[in-house]
Amino acid sequence: MATGRLTRYALELALLVASLAILVPIALMVLGSLKSPLEAQAYTLRLPSEWHWDNYATVFQSGGMGRAFKNSVIIAFFGVCLTVLFSAMCSFTIARRSSRYTSILFVWILLGMIAPFSVVPTISLMQILQLSGTYASVIFIYIGINVSYSVFIFTGFIRSVPRELDEAAIVDGCGPYRMFFSIVLPLLKPVVATNVIILTMSIWNEFMIPLYFFNTSEKWTLPLTVYNFFGQYAGKWNLVFADLVITATPIVIVFFDRAEVYRRRYDVGSRKRLIGRTRSRRSEGERRD
Amino acid sequence: MGLKRYYPYSFTYFTVLFYGLFFIVPSVVGLSFAFTNWGSENLTDWAAVKFVGLDHFRYLFSDSDFNQALTNTFAFAAVTTFLKVFLGLLLALGLNRKLITRQFLRAVYYIPAVLSVTVVGLLFSAIFSMDGIFNRLLQDLGMGRYALNWLGDNRTAMSIVMSLEVWKWSGFCMMIFLAGLQTISRDYYEASSIDGASRLQQFRRITFPLLMPAITINMTLNLIGGFKVFDQVYVLTNGRSGTEVLNTQVYRAFSNGLYGRSSAMGLILFGIIAIVTLVVTSYLKRKEVDY
Repeated sequence: MATGRLTRYALELALLVASLAILVPIALMVLGSLKSPLEAQAYTLRLPSEWHWDNYATVFQSGGMGRAFKNSVIIAFFGVCLTVLFSAMCSFTIARRSSRYTSILFVWILLGMIAPFSVVPTISLMQILQLSGTYASVIFIYIGINVSYSVFIFTGFIRSVPRELDEAAIVDGCGPYRMFFSIVLPLLKPVVATNVIILTMSIWNEFMIPLYFFNTSEKWTLPLTVYNFFGQYAGKWNLVFADLVITATPIVIVFFDRAEVYRRRYDVGSRKRLIGRTRSRRSEGERRD
Repeated sequence: MGLKRYYPYSFTYFTVLFYGLFFIVPSVVGLSFAFTNWGSENLTDWAAVKFVGLDHFRYLFSDSDFNQALTNTFAFAAVTTFLKVFLGLLLALGLNRKLITRQFLRAVYYIPAVLSVTVVGLLFSAIFSMDGIFNRLLQDLGMGRYALNWLGDNRTAMSIVMSLEVWKWSGFCMMIFLAGLQTISRDYYEASSIDGASRLQQFRRITFPLLMPAITINMTLNLIGGFKVFDQVYVLTNGRSGTEVLNTQVYRAFSNGLYGRSSAMGLILFGIIAIVTLVVTSYLKRKEVDY
């Protein structure tokens, strides 16, 4: 058994050493953002001789970061919420009702997972709809390109949620909307969390779509300003690094916060417990009323 | 079946509207306008566009820049998919064991997947520039003569772009594999070790076959993503030093107002992705087993 433990230590050590490939560049970025221009230019892992927290203030004031931050938040918030809501509702009907319409719809929606996004026709369409350059245009595009993946994930999950739950709700006199929003949606929490993480990541980090659809810097999202900033402040790596840290931080926080919810897997298999749980949740809600 | 009214079609209408209008309509328009002379002069005037048949395709396949981009795209998709899936599998197998720092390491390896390509791209250009940390490292190791402008050199630029992709997404593959590994029952391992199977045999006969669904997902997602590559190239080299790929060509044709040609390239990209995905998934699906 001793050799087994030894190999395990060796494996652990190897994985720790390999993780430096990720930790070193990140440390380089974070430390660099707190240095003077000259020190940051040297790209070393030495601690800054003077801690320049003012780099962040400079970036926020002169780089248009505040505005870009606001744009990113607006677009990500509406993009994620609407995509999750629409695709959860759609998946519920697809998963529960088998008809010609739903099976064709499912295949039609999954097509969006392989087809690449056609940029030029969309730009033209936005001009025809008089939406070009607005937040709405980009949010609508995000909904359009992300529902496929979302529906795919939701349908699979909803199929594993027992139907008895719906029937219990129906017997208790719920209408379809009330049933969906107060019974089904709360049960979908783990898969909603997964979807929120994935969508937030991809929308927050998306580069190509804002590049094509916002031609004035006023509506630019963070990743775009970062790129522009690099050209504008060429050589001032301390500011560039500060900018990179500001762009990266919110998404890292969202991820590690949500990942907790994600990890708490719901045991969908045990039907009785699930039904019991919904019942008690529902009566809790009624008591609050 | 009086239950139908509890699963109304109206639940699907929003999805149908947004997906249909903002994804399907542009795709269909793009497909058909690939055969026209659509350009910046009639962006919204779709009636004025003229049919030109296969002209764009004939032009593209005889254009050396486009062929170069096509080759690069294939190389990018194949090489990065292989490396990401391979490294992701190794990491997952390692981090599926009871290590002391397991949670920490899983988080660290996943971080790059969360970061924006622009952030990672600029970080990479700082590291691989002429006076960057990588060349300095080479000097310290006494290999200073190998130092070069990694992103400005035709021989190395594409490899750096690929290594960015691998650096960024291997952890994501790892997560999918970890989820797959957790679905494999311990009973198989116990039973097989009673029968005297070695660790290698266990991997070949139990882990690998039962991990096939995860491999299929990873391969498919990565291949599709690999063919669609854009940001990585745009941020690191902007297509210079022989790193042009299909999507950067689409962008260039679009910037020059050649919408028809841009759409034709989009159509070629779609064709490639559809065929490759179909072939690869049907091949891998056949390998999936059910114990």
